[in-house]
Amino acid sequence: MNTDYTGPLRRLILVVLVLMLTGVFLLWRIDSPRVERFRAQVTDSIVPNLDWAMAPVTGTVNLIRDFQSYGRIAKQNSELRRELRQMQAWKEAALQLEQENARLLDLNKVRHDPRLTFITGVVLADSGSPFRQSVLLNVGARDGIVEGWATMDGIGLVGRISGVARNTSRVILTTDASSHIPAVVQPSGQRVIVAGDNSAAPPIDFLENPDLVRPGDRVVTSGDGGVFPADLLIGQVAADPGGRLRVRLAADYERLEFLRVLRHYGIEPVSDTNDVLRPAAAAMLSEGKDE
Amino acid sequence: MINLTPSRLWIMRATFTFLIVTILFFHLLPLQTAADGLIWPDLILTFALAWSVRRPEYVPATLLAATFLLADLLLQRPPGLWAMLALIACEQIKVQSRRLRDAGLGTELASIAAWIVGIGLGYRLVLALLLVELPSIGPALIQIAVTVLAYPLVIATTHGLMRVRKGTASDIDGKGGRS
Repeated sequence: MNTDYTGPLRRLILVVLVLMLTGVFLLWRIDSPRVERFRAQVTDSIVPNLDWAMAPVTGTVNLIRDFQSYGRIAKQNSELRRELRQMQAWKEAALQLEQENARLLDLNKVRHDPRLTFITGVVLADSGSPFRQSVLLNVGARDGIVEGWATMDGIGLVGRISGVARNTSRVILTTDASSHIPAVVQPSGQRVIVAGDNSAAPPIDFLENPDLVRPGDRVVTSGDGGVFPADLLIGQVAADPGGRLRVRLAADYERLEFLRVLRHYGIEPVSDTNDVLRPAAAAMLSEGKDE
Repeated sequence: MINLTPSRLWIMRATFTFLIVTILFFHLLPLQTAADGLIWPDLILTFALAWSVRRPEYVPATLLAATFLLADLLLQRPPGLWAMLALIACEQIKVQSRRLRDAGLGTELASIAAWIVGIGLGYRLVLALLLVELPSIGPALIQIAVTVLAYPLVIATTHGLMRVRKGTASDIDGKGGRS
């Protein structure tokens, strides 16, 4: 048995395997979408089958995490009372703002796009690596998921669909290093890019006038480029200790369970201008030509 | 005194596959969806190296290549690169396994640590050369360090729990000879 380890047959097998693996890597480098589709299919065939085992283990670990927090109940109780008093003050402020908002919206007659229907999915697995922030959903091509659609939890933007297989699809989170989302900072209306960098609060890039932006301003998607629907809440501006402006994300990344995938078929381009603007003038012109 | 019959060989190979699948299963659990989580050591690599030193026949090259490629695909790494580097490292360790077995724990630790650092740095070097996007170097170095530090625990587990131990002079292999 031991002499096999220095024999020429073993070396040949090793060379063949190394060449095959190098080939796979170069194929990935050259034609990444095809290999990524293959990866999505492999994940699709393995991960849902482990679903029956993942659920109890995840449940047990979460139970243990909750159990550890039961030991701090008394302290939590007094903290919660203090927070409750603060919340009541905020509730008053929120009610006033709500009234003002209703008045202003009425003024603008703005409506959210009724074409944004959504598909709800459950998070099956995370990315498995501390360097990539992504989650796997249990909805896929057979539910109509298409690459590039935005994903939200109940409150804010979570990420983008990148990789669709038949039964599962992968969401790249906004905290991942390869995620760049065009956004608008309200109320100053400046267009920025929210670029993830593997931290919990992605930084803001390409901000033209930092003086007009203060911590607490809302960051929403701008819909630039037809990539994402517009007006999806991303979070609030916050400044880190180094002075860099980051986004405190509105979605709860610690507890991602149910996600909504928003159906978005692109923004229709405006192609024919004349008929849109001046139908009467066009009709007159055509009458003039006929004569 | 273990009889190395063919059935035991295949049982231990299946056990190795099951071990790797279990590690992947725990990696995939949706427990760490927020960023800034703990960086875990690369347990697949350490277990493969530990088994290669102790019982090279339990981890043939084809099995290693298949499990490493599967790990690459499921853990969102560029497929094939880390698998190739880890396979080369395990095969070199297998060649030196007799010498490492006899030389004691310190030599083994030093040799394995050198290989783990080599794989980690080589992986980043190749990705940088081919202009692939890399995660930042800080967490990567932390992962290499944690993997090296986790290796003694992995040795303890393989020796104690899984009973994958170095073949001694009194073991009889499948053909009736002494190993």
